[in-house]
Amino acid sequence: MTVADALMLALGLIAVGSGVLVVTSSHLVRAGFYLVVSLGAIAGLYLVLGAEMVAWVQILVYVGAVVVLLLFAVMLTRAPIGPSRDLDRPIAPAAIIGAGIGFGLTALLADAFRWTEFELPPPGNAERVGEQVFGAWVLPFEVLSILLLAALIGAIVLSRPDLGARPDPSAPPPEAPHDPIDESAEVIARLERIAARQAAAQARVRQARADQRAAEALANAPAPEPEPADPLKQKAADLIFGAHDARPKIGEPTAAEVLDSRIIQGESVVQRDEPIPARRSIEGNVIEGDLVEEKRPRPEREKLEGRRDRPALPAGDDKTDEKKEQ
Amino acid sequence: MHAVIPYVIASLLFALGVYGVLRRRNAILVLMAVELMLNAVNLILVAADATVRAVLDGVAPEAWAYPVPEPRSGAIFALFIIVLAAAEVGVGLAIVLQYYRLHKAVVIDEVVLDEHDHEKQVTG
Repeated sequence: MTVADALMLALGLIAVGSGVLVVTSSHLVRAGFYLVVSLGAIAGLYLVLGAEMVAWVQILVYVGAVVVLLLFAVMLTRAPIGPSRDLDRPIAPAAIIGAGIGFGLTALLADAFRWTEFELPPPGNAERVGEQVFGAWVLPFEVLSILLLAALIGAIVLSRPDLGARPDPSAPPPEAPHDPIDESAEVIARLERIAARQAAAQARVRQARADQRAAEALANAPAPEPEPADPLKQKAADLIFGAHDARPKIGEPTAAEVLDSRIIQGESVVQRDEPIPARRSIEGNVIEGDLVEEKRPRPEREKLEGRRDRPALPAGDDKTDEKKEQ
Repeated sequence: MHAVIPYVIASLLFALGVYGVLRRRNAILVLMAVELMLNAVNLILVAADATVRAVLDGVAPEAWAYPVPEPRSGAIFALFIIVLAAAEVGVGLAIVLQYYRLHKAVVIDEVVLDEHDHEKQVTG
């Protein structure tokens, strides 16, 4: 009895014990977790037997994927969380057959290997397994990959009922599409009423549109030309009203006054701009910019203006301009 | 190391798998029992890989039996069976889920084998 023997016995006890719980537990989810324990113990047995690669693949694929898939299926089929009563069939036939197979296989293998002792082989690492898989076993490997693809497609097709569904030959032929007119006289009367109402509404809309178009045409028509007036009368009216228009008005400045004011204004601009040459060089001849800035408090500039007593301000300050002039 | 230990463990696991397949009514539990049986076979393969050399002591090896100088064919077979089991579980669970969608149950001894699914759908 070596250490490896003891290890194998312990792992085998764990595997068989949790296997018993898998097939006897009345909780669906617990059965899944006992299966995890059993598969993990079998992976440990692989490790002891020197098949390292198989052990890790077992943990990856079985514990990592297959059991997770099984638990997914348990949840998707709305399995009860607690214990289920109706999980099992009558025990007798299953127990008889299972015990028979167990005893038979155990007796056969125990007789075959009885007290055979073997040297633990050197642990097979992934390198050696890879050489074998891609050397001697490359054809089964490729066939296996095609089988995986087929399983993938098969699972997808199976889980989608709309894919590849054949119509049942014994099923009655599909019914004709539902036609409400066939139903009753009441439905027909209602449909006719609806149609009449719609026709009336359409006629109303069409009438309104025609009226609107007629009104637009009336408005856009060219106005009739006024009758040519009597040339003599017109000349007389020109004479009278032209003189009336041409006479000097009371409130407005005359042409001479306008000219004069313009001269004053121009002079004021020049006089104001001359003492500040720096500013002018910056802003060029844009006088309006100056004016806007003058509204801000600028004591020097105001003092300058007050001292000169300049009446006219440029167009920005019309009101003050008028006040000062008056 | 005694060669009989892994073999006995594997045969017990296989018997448990057979018992589970025959006893259980839930299709998912049946799939779990099938996994147990597959693992028992894997364990036998790996154990044979390690022990057959010792058992066949004195037997002249055939040249065609060893395509490579150091055979690890048991491990390769075990890997292939793991892949097959993964594919089997995928397709089996797809079938189980489809059956559940049609009948709202996964009890496999109530599956009526001589009935069309369409009739079941129409009547039930």
